[in-house]
Amino acid sequence: MAAISTAILALRRDRRILKLPPYLSALLIIIGVTWLLLLPLNAYSRNTYVSENALLPGQVHTYFGGSEHNIFRAYRQEVSAISEKTPEERKESLVDILSSAGLKVGTQKFKYGVSGNEVEGENVYALLQGPRADATEAIVLIAAWKNMNGEINYSGVALVLTLARYFKRWSLWSKDIIFLISSDSTAGPQAWVDAYHDAHDPRYVASLPIKSGALQGAVAIDYPAGTWGHRFDKLHVVYDGINGQLPNLDLFNTAVSIASGQMGIGCTLQRMWEHNDQYLPRLQTMLRGMLNQGLGHATGPHSSFIPYHVDAITLQTVGDGWHDEMSLGRTVEGLFRSLNNLLEHLHQSFFFYLLMQANRFVSIGTYLPSAMLVAGSFTVMCIALWVQSGRPEDLKGKVGSTDEKSPAGEKEANTPKMVLIKGPGSSKAIVPITMLGVVERHLFLPFALLTSFHFLGLVPFYLFNHTPIPSLTTAFIAFTIVTLPLPYILANILPRKLTKQELMLLQCFTLLLLGLFLSALATLNFSLSLLIGLLSAPFSFIRPLGTTDTSSPQQKQSSSTTPIPPKFSKPMQPPPTSNPPTSSTIPSKTNPRTLILHILQALLLTALSPPVVIIAASSLWNVPGVSLSQVLAMATTGWWIHGLWTGVVVWLVWWPAWFTASFLVGAGAWF
Amino acid sequence: MHFSLLLNSALILFSRLASASTSSYKEQLLLRPLPQNALLASFNFKSNSSSTSFEQQNFRYFPRSLGQILQHAHTKELHLRFSLGRWDAESWGARPWDGAREGGTGVELWAWVESENDEEANARWLTLTNALSGLFCASLNFIDATKTIRPVMTFEPEGIHPKGAMDKLQLLHGTLPHEVVCTENLTPFLKLLPCKGKAGISSLLDGHKLFDAAWQTMAIDIRPVCAADGECTLEIEHTVDMVLDIARSKRPRDNPIPRPLPIEQMECDTSKSYHGDDTCFPLHKSSEPAWSVSEVFGHPLKGSCTLSDTETTTESICVNVPSDRTIDVKGAFNISQSSHNNDNLRCFTLPTDGSDFDLSFPEQTLQAPTTLQKPNLYAARSITGYGQERGGIQAVVSNPSPTSAVSIVYLESLPWYMKPYLHTLRAVISPTNANNGHQNKSKSRSTEDNLNPVKETYYRPALDRHRGTHLELRLEIPASSTLILTYDFEKAVLRYTEYPPDANRGFDVAPAVIRLLSSRETEGGAPGMYLRTTSLLLPLPTPDFSMPYNVIILTSTVMALGM
Repeated sequence: MAAISTAILALRRDRRILKLPPYLSALLIIIGVTWLLLLPLNAYSRNTYVSENALLPGQVHTYFGGSEHNIFRAYRQEVSAISEKTPEERKESLVDILSSAGLKVGTQKFKYGVSGNEVEGENVYALLQGPRADATEAIVLIAAWKNMNGEINYSGVALVLTLARYFKRWSLWSKDIIFLISSDSTAGPQAWVDAYHDAHDPRYVASLPIKSGALQGAVAIDYPAGTWGHRFDKLHVVYDGINGQLPNLDLFNTAVSIASGQMGIGCTLQRMWEHNDQYLPRLQTMLRGMLNQGLGHATGPHSSFIPYHVDAITLQTVGDGWHDEMSLGRTVEGLFRSLNNLLEHLHQSFFFYLLMQANRFVSIGTYLPSAMLVAGSFTVMCIALWVQSGRPEDLKGKVGSTDEKSPAGEKEANTPKMVLIKGPGSSKAIVPITMLGVVERHLFLPFALLTSFHFLGLVPFYLFNHTPIPSLTTAFIAFTIVTLPLPYILANILPRKLTKQELMLLQCFTLLLLGLFLSALATLNFSLSLLIGLLSAPFSFIRPLGTTDTSSPQQKQSSSTTPIPPKFSKPMQPPPTSNPPTSSTIPSKTNPRTLILHILQALLLTALSPPVVIIAASSLWNVPGVSLSQVLAMATTGWWIHGLWTGVVVWLVWWPAWFTASFLVGAGAWF
Repeated sequence: MHFSLLLNSALILFSRLASASTSSYKEQLLLRPLPQNALLASFNFKSNSSSTSFEQQNFRYFPRSLGQILQHAHTKELHLRFSLGRWDAESWGARPWDGAREGGTGVELWAWVESENDEEANARWLTLTNALSGLFCASLNFIDATKTIRPVMTFEPEGIHPKGAMDKLQLLHGTLPHEVVCTENLTPFLKLLPCKGKAGISSLLDGHKLFDAAWQTMAIDIRPVCAADGECTLEIEHTVDMVLDIARSKRPRDNPIPRPLPIEQMECDTSKSYHGDDTCFPLHKSSEPAWSVSEVFGHPLKGSCTLSDTETTTESICVNVPSDRTIDVKGAFNISQSSHNNDNLRCFTLPTDGSDFDLSFPEQTLQAPTTLQKPNLYAARSITGYGQERGGIQAVVSNPSPTSAVSIVYLESLPWYMKPYLHTLRAVISPTNANNGHQNKSKSRSTEDNLNPVKETYYRPALDRHRGTHLELRLEIPASSTLILTYDFEKAVLRYTEYPPDANRGFDVAPAVIRLLSSRETEGGAPGMYLRTTSLLLPLPTPDFSMPYNVIILTSTVMALGM
């Protein structure tokens, strides 16, 4: 045992080991990314399967059709007629239709204040008390009056009204069914589901007059075809929830298996209209899914349900094809019959998965290592920097240095001072004194800076959640312009220049925090963690260039000396206290290579700064209609209405890390 | 041997003759159409037996199997309920029997057991629940100490017990909210009836129809009624109430699927501008639907149960419809019809010769719709919050009466793994702002805010794995006000083996029982007014049960390889 511990102690001082971390860290990142790229391969992903046996998707005959089609057409006419009326009249018409079907109808008003704006509306919902139910469980069918693109969901609302009337006739429902017609696709469902769980703020959201039992699932229909209908080609299944939470995979699988297996409707996801099940489309689907998950925004009326552990999806009709509203209605009927069969809350299948095609996925066990490796790369560098910061100043210059200008004093220093150590018995050793030295770490300033940089993140966070939406873009651009040079300026107006060790510790702590946050986040929102991890990967490798000459540590013969456990060591003289780097350690500013490297570092950091990334991503996004202003508006409404945490991660984890990294570069530049 | 047999039969014969005067049997069915095409069918069967003949084991109308259980378990008064679904008070109005003959979802049992001390009462209660479990094919034996409480204010004995007997009686109450009531509970129930579901109104009780109802409750109530001179009779009352959906019940049994109607049979609103061959806005009909007893129950009534009292002509089937509603009476002669003007009640006597009897109602548009009695109280209870650690309960009880305040007793019997924080209990009164404007809102708020609605609290905290929480509150709700009662609770983490097979479904929490205390003092014998909320589903933190399975499989494989 003792032999092992002494060997490890010897290893601790091995220079080769100390040189390793940057390469190890880079390797971890490379493995993480490669891992991700391997996932779409057949060997690493799996075919989906329905895990919960009670669901029995597609095993029932669906009867929605025949004269129900006539009723559907009439309801669609009604919907298009009331779409021209005031919201109040609209509500009354919907209440009339639902209550004439024999359902209990409730309405709910809500009015959110979002950074100066008001988002208001009124939800109409109806409760079908299941004949075999005892009010303990319920499933929800949603049609938002307006879909995510702002189009009126004519056929979707009409279909929900028709299905409400049709479902009422069946006696087999063992759960209550709630038909919800929300006034919009994001705030309305959120207000409703908050109030259902009594987690709403009564100042903005009214309580629900009628409630049922625990929600077991929710399905939203998005079918904006107008009065004369529109035959669709495929169903686009949207499944992303708020903060990257996902519904149970069984619900998704059931929907896909009923739609494609029973009704013959193809299913797509993540806007991949063409998908030939090859590597590239799979990868693209997966990456789009990860992007949606990472952003964590509401992608449909179903999104608000998922944080309450209510599995939910949206079925969106896309393309021109030959499927009509009755096929969609029968799909929904089949899906509800399956959900009605459930004895337990959906729990069998996966909650953490990445889908790469409608029936291909990878589960958390397979994909999680990639984000964990990326997060781990920060921790590795943090440990390396910590160890390095505690080591005494290395002797400068190389043994075989060709630098002829090296002063004579250094030559002398190249022969290290030795110290005689007596061990137990008569064992003795001569050790270079630097090996035994312990450097006191000056923690105060790095800690103070780190803390203040992280608190500084509250400024943009507060700013972008309180600025009125119309002036958000201006505020954002102004903020970007102000903050990009800020770390460089700050580094040079500090009353005292930071020592090399303090800079090292500052980097160490920021990487420690980053590694901690990201590995914890990876289990909650894998995609966000990976995205932030990759975007901040260079933070481990930047060096305050003015002081980076530790990269050429001198090879010593010290490894050959017999290591002695520290308790026996008797240093002949007190260890040298850390001394601020002398001017001799800093190369001259005019060194063109350092200057270029320094500028490159600064450019890289500027390109990877959160505001620049956000501006670039929103302008490069290939989805039409996504602009910076919309992204910012979405972020602030997400925070106020849905409780979106992405902003917190961006401004309080990513941004401070970037700020610190830029500060380090800045601090190195002007020495 | 022969002699004793002869003696026995002679004794039985004698006692029957003797008891004929005290034992009686009566049955009645009330049909009341409700809004939204629903129909309330309320069956009631009453029989008596003198307590002397009961003690001598002479059973005539009183079911022997049940009687012996009562004697064995020293139970003097018993109430047993099997219920399914919920009563929709907003559309259907006041509850039948003022809620006194219904139970919460699942099975509910309460009884007064004679005993000297608590242990004896518990032992006899255990005997009783186990015996009833066998008799009714229900899991009543799962009513153990954790599900048993001793209510203080909520239940009063319905019977008139002999003087001094009450001191020795203990009230025990247990519920099984998860119990699914089905045909296997109906069959033993019918067997207890004198005509056993073969004749009389009980012939309509068919499992297919009963359990297709939107709400149904079966009740058995046994109580002694003692006169001042100490002469006691034992009354047993069987009650079955159900609310049927007329449209759904009328569907033939061989074709129960509600297929879309052929287009020719659709009734469309032709006034719509877009009405056409392919577009049909369904016509909302205000007329009363057509229905008949044989359509709704699947078959007509098979004569009367001839065991019922014949000396007084009993009207065993009554229909509560407005007086202008047409009724076609089909079937044999010997039908007497009488109208009770006060309650729009029309009653019929069944033919005694066993011939079929049927009532049918044609489709008709009535001048004045059926007026329903308004309920005295509305109540709803739900779980608030989310997550695995804690949650809250919110009960909303509203008093619709514009003039009088009501006093209620609210009883919660919570499982031990749901641990309420009593300090978070809040009872807030707010005026119901439905129609009486805002002018009295501020006034009533100022006066009511300083008024604590909780008048009395009885609380017995839970002991882990030994007993559940018992909470009883006496509350007062002012006129046209709503009481919102909230409290928080913590969810316990169960042991691995304590989870049921369907652990992820959640755990059922028994309905709250609300008793309306009427202003006048009720004497013994009058059942009170009750209201029960729906049961709740409480999700508890559940381990991933497939994980141990995987570990076992993996370990077994490794061990097998090692071998």
